Amino acid sequence: MKFETQLDGAVVPVEVTGDGSRYRVTLGGNALEVDARPTGAGGWSLLLGRASFAAGVSEEEGGVFVVDVDGETYSIRVEEETRYIIRTRGGGAAARGQILKAPMPGRVVMVEVTVGQAVAPGDGLVILEAMKMENEFKASVAGTVKEIRVEAGQAVNPGDVLVVVE
Amino acid sequence: MTPPFSKLLIANRGEIAVRVIRACREMGIATVAVFSEADREALHVLLADEAVPIGPAPAAQSYLSTEKLIAAARATGAQAVHPGYGFLAENASFADACATAGLVFIGPPPAAVRAMGDKMAARRVAASLGVPVVPGVSEAVTDDKDAARIAEDVGYPVMLKAVMGGGGKGMRLVHRREDLAGALRTARSEAGAAFGDASVYIERYLAAPRHVEIQILADAHGSTVHLGERECSIQRRHQKLIEESPSPGVDAELRRRMGAAACRLAAAVGYVNAGTAEFLVDARGSFYFLEMNARLQVEHPVTELVTGRDLVREQLRIAAGEKLGYGQEDIAWSGAAIECRINAEDPDQGFLPSPGRITRLSAPAGPWVRNDSGVYAGYTVPRYYDTLMAKLIVWAPDREAAVARMDRALGEYQVGGIRSTIPVLRRILRHPDFVAGRLDTQFMERLDDATVPGRHRTVALIAAALAAYERAGREIPPAPAPTVGPWARLGRPGSSGSRPR
Repeated sequence: MKFETQLDGAVVPVEVTGDGSRYRVTLGGNALEVDARPTGAGGWSLLLGRASFAAGVSEEEGGVFVVDVDGETYSIRVEEETRYIIRTRGGGAAARGQILKAPMPGRVVMVEVTVGQAVAPGDGLVILEAMKMENEFKASVAGTVKEIRVEAGQAVNPGDVLVVVE
Repeated sequence: MTPPFSKLLIANRGEIAVRVIRACREMGIATVAVFSEADREALHVLLADEAVPIGPAPAAQSYLSTEKLIAAARATGAQAVHPGYGFLAENASFADACATAGLVFIGPPPAAVRAMGDKMAARRVAASLGVPVVPGVSEAVTDDKDAARIAEDVGYPVMLKAVMGGGGKGMRLVHRREDLAGALRTARSEAGAAFGDASVYIERYLAAPRHVEIQILADAHGSTVHLGERECSIQRRHQKLIEESPSPGVDAELRRRMGAAACRLAAAVGYVNAGTAEFLVDARGSFYFLEMNARLQVEHPVTELVTGRDLVREQLRIAAGEKLGYGQEDIAWSGAAIECRINAEDPDQGFLPSPGRITRLSAPAGPWVRNDSGVYAGYTVPRYYDTLMAKLIVWAPDREAAVARMDRALGEYQVGGIRSTIPVLRRILRHPDFVAGRLDTQFMERLDDATVPGRHRTVALIAAALAAYERAGREIPPAPAPTVGPWARLGRPGSSGSRPR
């Protein structure tokens, strides 16, 4: 089975075959024999030859796998190859603009922009209080504030759209 | 030993409630936990002898409700209340209410809490004793115009601080005068939400100082000792991430001088119980008093490991009226201890809180490794409280060995399902400045994420691809096999043969 993995902007093709506990993983052209055993709750014991690793894998939404190895954490998007090709060649909506969504439940402390206001990357959009800290969410693109869907004092849930920048 | 109390209520949650329960259990004291609606499954509830619900999830309606806490203590027959840190730990009215209800408050007398809880009054006391303080004003600023004038007088950059503050809340560093008004607004709003008092004051900001604090213990019979310092310079957003004792920047002479200053302050306000005097230490070894924390500190374990003294046990003994039973000359320090805060935060997204369910948890163990945790696998970190999940503490004969031990222990620590500070702690531990003990409060700004490539990228890619492969195998229903019954398919998920190749 062929996958495209994405880590920090780099796309690496990975092919996996095998079954049970013995796998053949071809990564960027190198074939590796991997003895992998699940250790429960997303934990894996990996033997690459004699080299032993304990990895923890948690799946987040959007096909992103968060992998913990030896105190390091990696967020890796894994897509089956054909899906990756369809997505990237389908000329999917070029991501211009920004739809700022609440990443967590919280309370809006302040909306720092008004509709129609021009913003530059790094400009503050909304301050959200969550878990006793105020967190400022900033513009990631240059554009104009098209919509503001929340107001100060309002409680928000993860995924709620806060501000739309075009 | 006769226990100082027969039953004690812990007016707190999380790892510190667990820490107090452990000390009580070792001393033969029965424990009462309190919990909000969000905390029924919290570890302190599981571990205590009794547990009492005290209301809805928001702290204002539960952990900050004096009335409910006192009622819970009365209903259970508790004799004493330990406030932990945060919440009502430095609230003199709560200490008063405990006394009125006939409960022993495990902390300083209300008068000392008031004298030290008001940061500006504490500054005035320090100045009157000849303990140096950071230049600034000793009163709250209410008017933005006054604030602008004071900031000009003190000189930019200035630090805004909550009068009743602590834990970095309500603190803002302001470099330029045009940022002052906005910073005042957010500092007041944070201070009001966190402490119920929105007043803030202004102080000169010292560039790149060390943050060093002195632990003191004082009994009710006039004995005060210090247990040396903790280095707390590794902070982000004014919240500590790593603490250690001894400080690589403090020698025996500086320790003696700072310790004496802390003891003098404590004696001047009639302080009893455990307390901490916070100082800034500049590059020349001059120290400035910042504030006195009238409570047990989060980072108290590093002091415990280098002095061999159980601070919670000492707090309980002192509160029961016992004498310390030792003097300054009996306090000895051994080796080096480091603490790392394992927070539910995503260091790759500006330390954004990361509440949620912990799907996998594997804590380190082995020689001289201590894990003071308030969580477990399967537990959901609620979004209502602070992000501290656990404190990992190690001891070794010297700092170099302690750094190596902490690095080893962090490598064993796995938290799945939510993000944690573990990766950034590991990077800090390996930074040349940290290794060399070149610490100051600007350290985190020097920690450049991009310059530290992961060492295990390939392994991580393999693990992620294997997980996706096994999941794909589970999603595709096995082809009906006419020769075997349905039960034959119930093997290990993903191990059936029908998988796209």
